[in-house]
This record gives sequence, C-alpha cells and structure tokens, in this order.
Amino acid sequence: MVPQASMALIENILQFIGVFVSFSIAYVSYRGVRQTESSSLLRLATAFVFLGFGFLAEGLVGLGQILPSLPVSTTAVVVGGLLLETTGYFFLAFSHAVDVMISKKMGAALLVFPVISLSATQLANVLSILSFYFVLYGVVETIYSYARTRKPDTLLIALGLSLIGVGTFFQWLSLLYQYVGVLSLLQIILQEMGLLILFTPVLSFAVGGVKPNGTV
Amino acid sequence: MAQYRTQFRIIADVLSTARDHNTEGTGVGVTTLLRKGNMSYTRMSKLLAELVGSGLLLELNKDKISKYMISDKGIQFLAAYSSFEDFAQSFGLRL
Repeated sequence: MVPQASMALIENILQFIGVFVSFSIAYVSYRGVRQTESSSLLRLATAFVFLGFGFLAEGLVGLGQILPSLPVSTTAVVVGGLLLETTGYFFLAFSHAVDVMISKKMGAALLVFPVISLSATQLANVLSILSFYFVLYGVVETIYSYARTRKPDTLLIALGLSLIGVGTFFQWLSLLYQYVGVLSLLQIILQEMGLLILFTPVLSFAVGGVKPNGTV
Repeated sequence: MAQYRTQFRIIADVLSTARDHNTEGTGVGVTTLLRKGNMSYTRMSKLLAELVGSGLLLELNKDKISKYMISDKGIQFLAAYSSFEDFAQSFGLRL
C-alpha cells in the first residue's frame, strides 16, 4: 500500500502539472486572441485560466496538508478551487456554441450560485457533478467537430476531455465515499492524463510554430 | 447552415486569394477578389484600402487598372492566422 503522505505528495505534484498545462494552453489561446480577435479562443483562454487557478487552489490545499506551517483554510479553498474548476469546465464546454455575452452572464450566475445556502460538502458535490456534465457536453461537441473536420488532433482532444470527464466523475465519487482514498488519486491521475493530452496542440504549436507558406 | 465570418476570416480569405491567384506575378484584379471574397464592391473597396494602408497588400497600378499582390507582412499574417486556426480546430473550435 502507498503511504498516505506519499499519496498526498503524488496528488500534489500532479495538481501542479495541471496548473502548468492549463496556464500554457491559456497563454497560447490568449496569444491567438490578440492576433486574431477570435471569441472562441477567448473562451478557451478563459476556461483554462479558471482551470489553472482551480488546480492551483487544490494544490495549495495539498501543500497545506504536507506542510502544516502553511496556513490554508482547507474547506474554503477546496470549495473555491472546485468552483473555479467548474467555471473553467463551463467555458470549455460552451466555447463551442454559446455567444460570448451569454457565456459572461451564465458565468456570472455560476459565481453567484454558491451564495445559496448549501453546506461545503453539498456544494462540492454539486460543483463536481456540474463539472462532469460540462465536460460531457464538451466531449460530445468535440466529437461532433471531429465528424465535420476529420482532424486527428480533434479526436485526441475528445479523448483528453473524456478522461477529464471520467476524472470529474471519480472526483464526485471521492466526495461521496471519502473513506476510499484511492478514488481521489484515480481522479487526479485521469484528469492529469486528460490535461496532458490537451497539451498536444500547445506542443505542436511550440514545435511547428508559424507555417512558412502561410497556408490557410 | 451559413457560417458567420469574422473580420479576420474575411481578411485571411482576401489575402489567400491575392496569394493563390497571383500566378503570373502581376497581381490579382478586384473582380477575382470579389468573386472569391463573396462580398459587395463597396465593402471590398474599403477593405482593400485598409489592407493596402496596413501593408498587408501591395497595390499595383497599370493602365489605370489596380491589381493587388500579397506583401511579406501579409504572408506573415496568414501564417500566424493558419497556426491559430489549427490550434482552435484541435479543440473542435472555429476561429
């Protein structure tokens, strides 16, 4: 059996990999927004900024457990992190279809949502299951896009999103069955695998850069 | 369903036409740009003036007829646009 402390450390390292991947995708998307003024890329950048900060919050909670000297209020940060992640998944899912203005309004509604008096555990449950549905929607839309474009990268992203979706489902299960420690580790491993797959276009972008012939 | 084209998509289309149809190296006429660009003459004239002004297109005047050729800056714009389009398409999105 893996000791509890080692598991926490592994979880933590994976969370910070998630932070790096999310912010990298957000950065490339933001560069795209500046060069093309594309609203789709703006929503993608927004999604990954939220996801990045969400993973960062969860990573900080993990650090707080490993280093007790770090004053982190676990419940508040966990719920805050989940809220950021859910908002990120919302933008990721709806970057396909929803107009920017609607996204902003619904995103704002999502931020107001926790005001409703729910306990922290209930809130975490609701946010996890919401994340799951948002990712599921994103997977369906991405597969639909693949059917249209037949671009292998799009299929890869759909696979990445599917892994993240299964990860969020495990996250929800881990909140329901907190005594099964392995669920939380499984969730992070699946989410990180998914995120690393989402990192592929960033790598292609970094390696390939700008095409010299400018083919559109 | 008809797809909405962003201003950047329109610019990319016009620049691609200017690049791909300049087979003789003498530039591309407005008629070709209009046909491929799918927009009104008034709108195209305004856009061409903007693109020439920003250095993305070069205007060649011969026998009082204007023809257009893509500039190096225009090729760079198309290259950047193409890279980001690939990136967005990977996520199943349109620019």
